[in-house]
Amino acid sequence: MGYRLVEIELSKPLAPIELAPQHDGVGLIGRWQDRLVGFEMIALPASSVLSAERLRALADERFSGRILIAKVEEELLRQRRFAVEPPLPSLSIAICTKDRAKRLSRLLASLDLIRWKSAFQSVEIVVVDNASVDSATREAVGGFKDVRYVFESKAGLDFARNAALGAATGNLIAYLDDDVVVDRNWLVGLAKACRDHPGAGGFTGLVLPFRLDTEAQIIFEQRGGFGRGFVHNEFHNNRFDNPLHPVGSGILGAGCNMAFDRALLLELGGFDEALDTGAPLPGGGDLDIFYRVLRSGRPMIYEPEYAVYHEHRETIEQLRRQYWTWGLGMMAFLVKSRRTDQALHARHRAMVRWWFFDQLKALVRAARRFRGRDLGFGVAELWGGIYGLAGEYDRSRARVQAIREQNQ
Amino acid sequence: MNGDAFRIRHIDLEATDADADTNGTASLSIFWWKDLPLGMKASLPDELPYTRARLRQFAAEFSAAQLAARSTSLGAPLRATYEGWPKSALSLTAALGAKGLIDRLDELATASYASAQDISVVICTRDRGPALAECLRSVARQRSAPGEVIIVDNSRDGNARRVCAQFPEVRYVHEARPGLSVARTAGVHASRRAIIAFTDDDVEVHAGWTAEIARAFAERDVEALTGLVLPARLDTLAQRRFQFDMGGFGSTFVPLVFDRRFFEETRPNGAHVWKIGAGANMAFRRSVFARVGLFDERLGAGAAGCSEDSELWYRLLAAGGACLYEPRAVVFHHHRSDWPGLRRQMRAYMKGHVAALVVQYDNFGDRGNIVRIWKQLPAYFLRTFLRALFEGPPGRIRILAAEVEGWLAGLQFLLRFGWRKRRALRPQILVEERAG
Repeated sequence: MGYRLVEIELSKPLAPIELAPQHDGVGLIGRWQDRLVGFEMIALPASSVLSAERLRALADERFSGRILIAKVEEELLRQRRFAVEPPLPSLSIAICTKDRAKRLSRLLASLDLIRWKSAFQSVEIVVVDNASVDSATREAVGGFKDVRYVFESKAGLDFARNAALGAATGNLIAYLDDDVVVDRNWLVGLAKACRDHPGAGGFTGLVLPFRLDTEAQIIFEQRGGFGRGFVHNEFHNNRFDNPLHPVGSGILGAGCNMAFDRALLLELGGFDEALDTGAPLPGGGDLDIFYRVLRSGRPMIYEPEYAVYHEHRETIEQLRRQYWTWGLGMMAFLVKSRRTDQALHARHRAMVRWWFFDQLKALVRAARRFRGRDLGFGVAELWGGIYGLAGEYDRSRARVQAIREQNQ
Repeated sequence: MNGDAFRIRHIDLEATDADADTNGTASLSIFWWKDLPLGMKASLPDELPYTRARLRQFAAEFSAAQLAARSTSLGAPLRATYEGWPKSALSLTAALGAKGLIDRLDELATASYASAQDISVVICTRDRGPALAECLRSVARQRSAPGEVIIVDNSRDGNARRVCAQFPEVRYVHEARPGLSVARTAGVHASRRAIIAFTDDDVEVHAGWTAEIARAFAERDVEALTGLVLPARLDTLAQRRFQFDMGGFGSTFVPLVFDRRFFEETRPNGAHVWKIGAGANMAFRRSVFARVGLFDERLGAGAAGCSEDSELWYRLLAAGGACLYEPRAVVFHHHRSDWPGLRRQMRAYMKGHVAALVVQYDNFGDRGNIVRIWKQLPAYFLRTFLRALFEGPPGRIRILAAEVEGWLAGLQFLLRFGWRKRRALRPQILVEERAG
């Protein structure tokens, strides 16, 4: 079982895609003149062939619209209409990692291909080793030219992110998780978003699957994955089409691929170390930082060309746990921001109500269709939410305080 | 309540590339490419002014939609889907081969100067003197003057006569029998041109309105036409709720054909003809009335409530005709400004809707109309109720209550057998006589 990931360049003639016996589907990444325009998953019998005609029909329906939009946009830019061209800042790329030297090397290799020819004033890479048990991480970093190594002894992703914030020197800091690989246009996309939005407080980007080899990875991606689509978007402190915004900050993107104005992050006091603490509460930190950036009055930009490929959880058990942590992290974030941001009290309350209503709707849908597994994921997320609402943020703060004291 | 008023701004993306407006009020921005309406977007003060990149994105997305809907090489003309939305027929090959898109857009955006001498404009009014005066002023500003303008005064005492006296080119007709259908029918009888364009007294029409209607009828082989109805003001809460929560009078900015296929697709649920457009901006060839009859006098404001327009489209589509939705023909509607007025309107809409479904069932025997009354509408009420309960917006439940009231009030028509037997007259002879 597994989907073959295939990239197609739509401006060139389409060729049929052949499947090996272990493949029962195709994950199709569509590009037009190297620009990402769409992602589709197609289930197929093993060892079959996705014909060029069928590809064409799919492209007609799914990709042609975005190509036309991209073409109009290029013409507008060629006529220099709506153009913005301020100079680009210096960039620090921060990678927080723990005991995953192999994946880290893979990510560094993908960065090594693009970092030398970017439009940014300068590009530095900072790897924060978050209390790895052995020296493999340090050795992996040593294998690459011009990568800084920082050790953070306090275990917890947001400890590491804050360490990176302190160690970095760039005006802009782009965070990557160690389980991603960057797209070849990752820097181009980020540069474009920066140029178009000189006043932005932060940027998020597209997250595509790195591989779809296991059932859990396929299911996760089919259920939406981390995907936020192929349309550029801007987020502000308020949003006409969503009265709960910015409380539902998950729509902005994901923590595995995000960038911020470093001065703004410092001003905001960095990441909340009681969120994203690893095993006990492995989420919520990205929601929290997106929320705080928007509340500071600076916009955040979603740019699909600023894309990474994420290695999804391999087993169903890990996936169920991931949904559990989503519920947990969401509620821990809501409890925290409800406490710290009195002005939006009503929105936080409404968000909790909406969230449980939404989860229950998903459960009813799964139950009516006799989808046991979806039901399991739904229950896991709901249970995570209940557990998170019941004092998880305070428990986490106590744990984090203990870690700080141990490391003094 | 008025503190949150939305401004309505018009932005020509062909002429500007930056949003200089830093007024700091919530806005509904209507985007144009010269004279071509492209789309609209509502935004709160925090989201404004739009960045250049944002405007570029709007320009690209809206223009691509226009090009795909208006260039035959990119798949135009588009048919309406079940939902009444455009379904793109763009192919990869066409998208890859497309060139000179901005030039083509410029061509599409040229204003029409087609002669409107073939058009009779019919405006029905009832006790709304000041609004009617505004409406007539906008008609007087047309780029192409219509062949004639007829005011059908549906008030008891003929109080619109005084207003009409200020506009010498207007023909005044008094129709004392109440009901919008009666008044519109009187307008048809009084008119003498080949195309009859209707608008309402609470509307201001765009300066190109008649010229665009004339162009559409000249270029496209259709018998009926509807156009874009934009809000004139969004000052009060009631106006914003109507526009944003109830969808106003539609927000599609690309031309669409509603034909037999749309009719057949939606027929199992009562043929969704109300998605075709609004009576505030519609036009017909005179031949339509000869073929399928006039407005049903049992329907419409002043009678069952509304839907006299959509019931006529129902007959037209059932007879194999088609209606073109052409958003280049633009009018601005003044939504009800007070909350009780909005509730009354929503109640009347639903009541009239149910009455029209009964009439359509009696005329054609389509069970789908009954399915709509007993299944689709109650399901819509339940869904809306649950959503409003958990997700808001506040006030939606009160509007829903008015809709349910209207539905209940409409059910009476099922039992009023005498009412149901009064079929629409088919006064073909009358129409033909006058037409000659």
